[in-house]
Amino acid sequence: MATTVTSSKDVRAVISEERRASLRRKKIRDFFQSLFSHTMINLVGLFFLIPFIWMLVTSVKSDQDVFHTPPRWLPYDNVTVNVNGQQLPLYNVKTESGSKELALINIVEGMGTFVDPQNPTQELQYEIQQGTTKIAEPIMHVSFRWQNFPDAMERGSRPGVGASFWVYFKNSLIIAFFTIIGTLLSNTPVAYAFARINFPGRDILFIIVLATLMLPYQVTIIPLYLFFNDYLHWGNTFLPLLIPAFFANAWDVFLLRQFFKTIPEEMCDAARVDGASEWQIFTRIVLPLSVPVLATVTVFTFLYAWNDFTGPLLFLSSPDKFTMALGLRDFQGQRTMIWNQLMAASVVFTVPIVVAFFFAQKTFIQGIKLTGSKE
Amino acid sequence: MAELLEIKDLTKKKWDFKAKWSRRTRQNFWIGVLFLAPWFIGFILFTFYPLAASFVYSFSEYHSRKPLIWVGLENYQTMFTDKLFWTSLWNTLYMVIFAVPITLLTSFLCAVLLNLKVTGQSIYRVIYFLPSIVPTVASTLLWLWILNPQAGVMNTLLGHLGINGPNWLSDPTWSKPSLILLGMWGMGSTIVIYLSGLQDVPVSLLEAAELDGANWWQRLRYITIPMVSPITLFNLITGMIFMFQYFAQAYIFRGTQGLGSPLNSTLFYSVYLFQTGFQYLKIGYASAMAWVLFIIILVCTILMLKVSDRFTYYAG
Repeated sequence: MATTVTSSKDVRAVISEERRASLRRKKIRDFFQSLFSHTMINLVGLFFLIPFIWMLVTSVKSDQDVFHTPPRWLPYDNVTVNVNGQQLPLYNVKTESGSKELALINIVEGMGTFVDPQNPTQELQYEIQQGTTKIAEPIMHVSFRWQNFPDAMERGSRPGVGASFWVYFKNSLIIAFFTIIGTLLSNTPVAYAFARINFPGRDILFIIVLATLMLPYQVTIIPLYLFFNDYLHWGNTFLPLLIPAFFANAWDVFLLRQFFKTIPEEMCDAARVDGASEWQIFTRIVLPLSVPVLATVTVFTFLYAWNDFTGPLLFLSSPDKFTMALGLRDFQGQRTMIWNQLMAASVVFTVPIVVAFFFAQKTFIQGIKLTGSKE
Repeated sequence: MAELLEIKDLTKKKWDFKAKWSRRTRQNFWIGVLFLAPWFIGFILFTFYPLAASFVYSFSEYHSRKPLIWVGLENYQTMFTDKLFWTSLWNTLYMVIFAVPITLLTSFLCAVLLNLKVTGQSIYRVIYFLPSIVPTVASTLLWLWILNPQAGVMNTLLGHLGINGPNWLSDPTWSKPSLILLGMWGMGSTIVIYLSGLQDVPVSLLEAAELDGANWWQRLRYITIPMVSPITLFNLITGMIFMFQYFAQAYIFRGTQGLGSPLNSTLFYSVYLFQTGFQYLKIGYASAMAWVLFIIILVCTILMLKVSDRFTYYAG
């Protein structure tokens, strides 16, 4: 009896020893696994984050700093001093008597005219560069140039036309607004009919709706272009972009129908028995229950209209009609690169969407899961 | 995907065309017609008419305001000898063959990372997703700036790692990889779709496998990957269709140079189609190209669906 007890104690001791060892091994393994996953998720995260940061940093850089090599992660600007009522950039100049901080008045053919801030009456001349060695170098400090934003927005993409980025911004808003209205008004009754009204021919028509999803836009765009431009004379107006939105599209019909089908049929039938017309059931019962999916459609229509580049590119030709998307591209194509202002305008273009995302994060994610939409 | 399954279901139904309509059915028919009116008018005007017109144009020589000249199959024959047509088709196939699988694989891996239990998980998810909602024009311009040869950050960062970065924008061998990179930056929606798929993999299955001694890789290989295979198929097909229609990014990415720069390496199918139709105004030829594109997309989609039957697992 006694011997068995001791042996079982021994066994228990051995088992717990083994368990402790295995637990220790698991802990070590877990530690390395977690270290690995943290490292990976951060490294990949940098790939997504750095371009964003670079966009923001560039948007507040001064003109002098934009093309600085190597690029700097903080925005720099000249240190300026007030000399005789003028703001002049301060330079570090190597003179015969050591280096001095002088204010630059102008540069003519590589020869800089400087003035000593302590002794503003005397003008001094130095070459900016001798061979490859720089004699005079600007003194820079970290400075955020917020002025890029109003500067960028108040200029147009082409000189002398007068339309500014504010006009483009307004045009984009107008187009997005009416596209959303049209999409909501036209798609909901169609989707309701496909989901809840039992009429002959419904299934055949629905197959046609789904089939149009597979049609690449390249096939229809040329006749549409000729139709809108040459036949209706809608060229250079918003109409070719807005009017089709008022005539339902396959994606939204499908999305809305799938949601409407989840609303209990019994509710609609009960209303029918009580003598409600289909229109009443649609507007009083189905629509009020469909706020989440209507929000999804609204958000995605906004994204689509705000982003759209090809449509405006085809139909809008004069700068006062440009959208933000078209204006940005035009800005880049027309001028020598003013990257800081271009990025500032891009930030203004992106901000409404990011704000919408933070307000309606769930709607965004839900919408992507529902449609699996690209772009 | 859901719409494909829906078509399958609907075509299986038996329709009775000879049945006599009751008063109720007739009434429902007219109500249905009224509700469908917005779609029906739109379908006739903006889909059916253009489709028919472009079909006719594709067999003719046409300049707007001039009468149409019937040329038979000439437009389709021209494609065989048009060097630029083949260049644009090859460029597009390059993107379909490389960009689509690479983006798919990396977005799956990103989703796996985001599904790990990591502190600040929701912040990482936002960071990975956010680039995908940056408007195409803004993101393309941003990447033009990042890949800028003089002051771009890309080559500076590569320089820190001791890599001499290529000339991303002006070297024809690197222009398409640059566009792939740009696409990968904005693949957030694909990641979200994969992530939701990963969250739907039953935990009980993974735990059972773990008890049976399956390691991390085996669980991924034999449970997770088969379970998300319908999503892979969906992403593969939508990615392929998107790439065949690739336009805006390429149009913007050339900067101030001509369409397709450098050296026609970004002259994709849709870009060339745009050029023929809207710049050279060869409406007939462009329409024929559009129909060829449509057929290519259709054939590829059907092929993928057929082949995928063997590799895709549908639960339930």
